[in-house]
Amino acid sequence: MAKKTASQKAFLSGNGALAQGAWESGLAVACAYPGTPSTEIMESLALYKELDVQWSVNEKVAYEVAYGAAVGGVRSLFACKHVGLNVAMDPLMTSSYAGINAGFVVVVCDDPDMHSSQNEQDTRWVGIYAKLPVLEPSSPAEAKVFVAEAFKISETFDTPVIIRMTTRISHTKEDIKLGKRVTVKPAKLEPNMRKYVMVPGNARLRHVFVEKRLEKLQKYSERTKLNRVEINGSWLGIITSSVSYNYLKEAYPDASYLKLGFLYPFCDEKIKAFAKRVKKLVVIEELDPFIEEHIKALGIRKAQFKDPSFRLGELTPGVIADAATGRPKKVKKIPGRAPRLCAGCPHWSTFSVLKKLGLYVAGDIGCYTLGALPPTSALHTCICMGAGVTFNEGLRRAAPNGRIVGVVGDSTFIHSGITGLVNAAYNQAKGIIFILDNSTTAMTGGQQHPGTGWTIRNEQTKTLDVAKLCSACGADHVDVIDPVGKLKELEELVKQRLDADALSVIIISHPCVLIKKKK
Amino acid sequence: MKKQAEYNVTFGGIGGQGIIKASELVGWAAMYEGFHVKKSEVHGMSQRGGSVESHVRFGKKIYSPLVAPGQADFLMCFHADEHYRLKHFLKKDGVDLVVYLPTLKDMIENPRHLNTALVGVLAAHLPISDKSWEKAFKTVFPKKILAENKKVFKKAKAIVK
Repeated sequence: MAKKTASQKAFLSGNGALAQGAWESGLAVACAYPGTPSTEIMESLALYKELDVQWSVNEKVAYEVAYGAAVGGVRSLFACKHVGLNVAMDPLMTSSYAGINAGFVVVVCDDPDMHSSQNEQDTRWVGIYAKLPVLEPSSPAEAKVFVAEAFKISETFDTPVIIRMTTRISHTKEDIKLGKRVTVKPAKLEPNMRKYVMVPGNARLRHVFVEKRLEKLQKYSERTKLNRVEINGSWLGIITSSVSYNYLKEAYPDASYLKLGFLYPFCDEKIKAFAKRVKKLVVIEELDPFIEEHIKALGIRKAQFKDPSFRLGELTPGVIADAATGRPKKVKKIPGRAPRLCAGCPHWSTFSVLKKLGLYVAGDIGCYTLGALPPTSALHTCICMGAGVTFNEGLRRAAPNGRIVGVVGDSTFIHSGITGLVNAAYNQAKGIIFILDNSTTAMTGGQQHPGTGWTIRNEQTKTLDVAKLCSACGADHVDVIDPVGKLKELEELVKQRLDADALSVIIISHPCVLIKKKK
Repeated sequence: MKKQAEYNVTFGGIGGQGIIKASELVGWAAMYEGFHVKKSEVHGMSQRGGSVESHVRFGKKIYSPLVAPGQADFLMCFHADEHYRLKHFLKKDGVDLVVYLPTLKDMIENPRHLNTALVGVLAAHLPISDKSWEKAFKTVFPKKILAENKKVFKKAKAIVK
């Protein structure tokens, strides 16, 4: 988190540096839902008092509120982790057509190696899919500079701009020069239905605009300094981006580089010219062959690429030479210590009962996903946020007599479990949904949410009554129980609800042990 | 110690041992000393008792935020298991601070001070002035526990001959 000091420098993470850069650029509104490795962007932004920041209910909501503010006329930012962007894809795709009124930046933090995620998707492809520019910084210092550029690009080309970070950039810290905040005059909000009402007649015209914009952005890609050529020796030329650049600079200090910071649209002419200047050409990037496929499409025959085994996981200084010389990835990792639920965590009680009763437990994303690991080993599915609720229904449709239940956290239920519960009630599904209410968004470090009644700045606000909400959704029974020291009662309650031919919600209410520590 | 172009420190242990705090201290101190600094670790689930690994590198110009295997000048391990996992980072002539663990454990009264004590031992090997350490402590520690941590740091630094 950004910590202000008297000096003009601070030791900031990539997320903190990006926040500082956004603040300096005159940012006004920022929204996010927590998700590792992106969480600290919003936590850092919350420290700047003049900003309007929020934990939103989920990424779709966050995107729409932030984008709405950009349409409203002020510079805005949305931040999420890679899988969070999936939740926001609906507004993202069409925001590309409608464009902006004031600068709008979409920050997406990918997680190569899946340090704390359920998949390893590579967000750069979204640039092609949504026809949006993608910037990719390679260090915290660059994250700060790039976000300022992103706001300018957004306003010059009437487009949302994606900044693609990775865990290694977001969580690296670097000494960062602090600057002053610029004043940006809000743009006037005037009705412009042709631009912002995306019905077919208007959207068709906007699609024409989007294709023209891509051409303009491609020309910009050729001239921007974000795509930097560094000529040293001509024996080896390397085209690269993101953190890989740093590893390569140390392994091959006398090579020449085309360092791509403005990834998409590609700078074809720059790439072709660079390829001509060097004897040997190597393309190195983390994860998917995004740059690779484009260079193949350009027909640059001498280009050499990493072995496909390197499409998995992070590149590191220890493997960069293997990747650069086309050798396959050697896997010889000494396993680290596995995480587990904290001592005193209320989830222990819940999972001990679920295990004892031999239930098939549909789960999703949160600390309680650790219930799948020994010694509890009592969670059987985890795909995405909110699926603890919907998987209970789906599994039961396949196995009507199965002893199946669903678990979902309090923050996760509010994020995307509510609609699943409405669906279960409406379509007459049965079973028990356990809402594991530990009064926080625990896995990402303990963020507030509508159920806690506190905002991102720890100011009191309206509290969502989850029990009442579940009744309103159509649950037949809603029980609230603190399981600690009451395992017998919990077990009896679960048995009773299992036997009933009903849709039941059991709210397991006990605060996360780390919240108290924090206070 | 002779001046080097860059200094590489690898930290390792398990969640809750204060590894991040320790690497944070070193990072801020190096920055106050005027070095270009990069520090990298993975948070994720470390708070749930998983392995924690942190790298701090500083010098005139640093590219990689991670120490390459065999390039750490110092290895700061807080746990024997993690030492096994991370010892390949150490340079041939690098300094393995694991030898100080028993002495430091005897020296400190509060086990929570182990990270500060280890940073004290490391400080004896680094070209960072007391003034920069002082500023780093003030930045990283809340007022309530600042004095006790400074005391532990000083005492630990003094045991290195």
